[in-house]
Amino acid sequence: MARLAELKLMFKSMLRELSGNRKFMVGFTLFIAIVIVSYVGRALTPYDPLAAGMFPIDHPPCPEHPLGTDSLGRDVLAQLFFSVEQSLIVGFTVATIGTLVGAVIGFLAGYYGGVVDLILRSFTDIFIVIPMLPILILIASMVRVVSIWMTATILSIFAWAWPARQVRAQVLSLKERDFVYMARLSGMGSFEIIFRELMPHMLQWLGANFTNSVVWAILTEAGIEFLGLGPQKTMTLGMMLYWAMYHAAVFRGLWWWWAPPIITIILIATSLFLMHVGLDEIVNPRLRTRGG
Amino acid sequence: MVSYLRYLAQRLLSFGGVVLVALLINFIIPRIMPGDPITTIIMRLSFQGAMYGTEELVEEYKRMFGLDKDWFTQFICYLRELLHGNLGYSIVNFPTKVSDMIAKALPWTIGLLSVTTVISWALGSVIGAIAGWKGEKSKFWGYLAPIALVFQIIPYFMLAIILVFLFAYLIQIFPMSGAYSVGRIPTMSLDFILDVIWHSILPALSIIISSLGWWFLSMRSMIIMTKGEDYILMAEAKGLPEREILWRYAFRNALLPQVTGLALALGNIVSGALLTEIVFAYPGMGWLLYNAIVNVDYPVIQGVVLIIVLSVCTATFIIDVIYPLIDPRVRYGVE
Repeated sequence: MARLAELKLMFKSMLRELSGNRKFMVGFTLFIAIVIVSYVGRALTPYDPLAAGMFPIDHPPCPEHPLGTDSLGRDVLAQLFFSVEQSLIVGFTVATIGTLVGAVIGFLAGYYGGVVDLILRSFTDIFIVIPMLPILILIASMVRVVSIWMTATILSIFAWAWPARQVRAQVLSLKERDFVYMARLSGMGSFEIIFRELMPHMLQWLGANFTNSVVWAILTEAGIEFLGLGPQKTMTLGMMLYWAMYHAAVFRGLWWWWAPPIITIILIATSLFLMHVGLDEIVNPRLRTRGG
Repeated sequence: MVSYLRYLAQRLLSFGGVVLVALLINFIIPRIMPGDPITTIIMRLSFQGAMYGTEELVEEYKRMFGLDKDWFTQFICYLRELLHGNLGYSIVNFPTKVSDMIAKALPWTIGLLSVTTVISWALGSVIGAIAGWKGEKSKFWGYLAPIALVFQIIPYFMLAIILVFLFAYLIQIFPMSGAYSVGRIPTMSLDFILDVIWHSILPALSIIISSLGWWFLSMRSMIIMTKGEDYILMAEAKGLPEREILWRYAFRNALLPQVTGLALALGNIVSGALLTEIVFAYPGMGWLLYNAIVNVDYPVIQGVVLIIVLSVCTATFIIDVIYPLIDPRVRYGVE
């Protein structure tokens, strides 16, 4: 029970620090605003945003269609509301899987050391060194990607490697601290030490890295989808851009089709990045003095 | 020396591991996917009007890759063909060899990327140095850092789309796509070279701008760190002009990590801007890959991916091997 109170206290001080960090709050507000607008927008859209032929094609923005329509006669704004959710689902799923798997591998490698470390580290290094995009393209082109869950699965193949390397380095430095020696002397088992002694120190830090993983996942997702290897049966921000390029929207002057997904992706990435920088400053207070 | 040899062996081992994994991925993935690739190939060929001769082709493929034998034999056959530079044939442009298509595309990618990488590096380093030096005193240089941060978040192919829209559609200064004017035959004439340069300006600009931020930020933080060093204080105390302190003292010392960065970036050239080429229909590796994906041309996809992975890994390995010889401060990665 004492530990629970301790965690609560930690959580409270974390919240206080977060609300005092300007970068985090700006990013967080922007992110929440994007989410709320897209959900409210979806709720207010009375028709299926993906059904073709509902409206006149290639119509520039007008009161009924604030962002116009695309070459298949679909409302762009309605598509955008729908896509934001889909892209965020992919981003957060991949980041969650990547952080969890990475944390487990990093903990095992860092804590046990020796042969376990050697094998896990070599494995991790290979996934970091190999150029990711071509391999993802190869896999995505062989599998017929139809749903966002398949996109998320494919991205997860690489999402764990970077967190694993970083968690390992953190565990290596934590392992030598006195409180871990104390825990070991007092007869705690390995798993108990990992979960009760090391985990609390890692949680904040993992949180800071999680936002970074989401940014990575959303941007990589957009890149793969831009090649036409995204989910064919649904719409995401990257797929919107792909279809716009596929129908030569840029060369036909249909700016209301290709510009909104680009701007939205950049806004989402910026908001998450600001949150990441803010969290990073809280976890590593030394960063704050370095300007910029 | 001994530690260098140990480091070399370690690097070689990890390089071998990466190459092996890349080969395995390239070998296994098409084989575990549903559907027989050969049947797909024949189906496509008959769509294109190949009425007879397909049986012979199947036999040729089976013999070449030992497809009637077990997986291990198949893998050995695969490696054997690979060593002979045989990446198979394109389905869509049959009987063009995949290796020939890659040989045609590679120079465009390497040419565009090597020039833009060096320009962006030089520009970013110089601006970063000035910004790091003057950052606290001048508002203008101080504001550059947040702008660079935002630019770094914009994916490079999105920046390319925006540039095409601005300078090829809205204000029609530059050509929209291609590496040279339609209908021209590549020659070594001055006229043709100027045409190529003219077509490459927009793709080059998009790559330069999107990577500039990174070089700028890393140089800037290096200069800021150098500013506190004793030898800078000493130079200031001696009364040296500021310009000389910045360029002859601070910049020179901050340059080494930048050179490492440049070496790594040059190693990544082949995979660096695949998506930019698609925006501009630039006939390099990215465009080849994109067309192969659109046409479901598996042998080309596999071939391009393999070449990209192998060239990036080889370049990284070479840099790893050379680097400690240049910079003795590298600790050979021993922890």
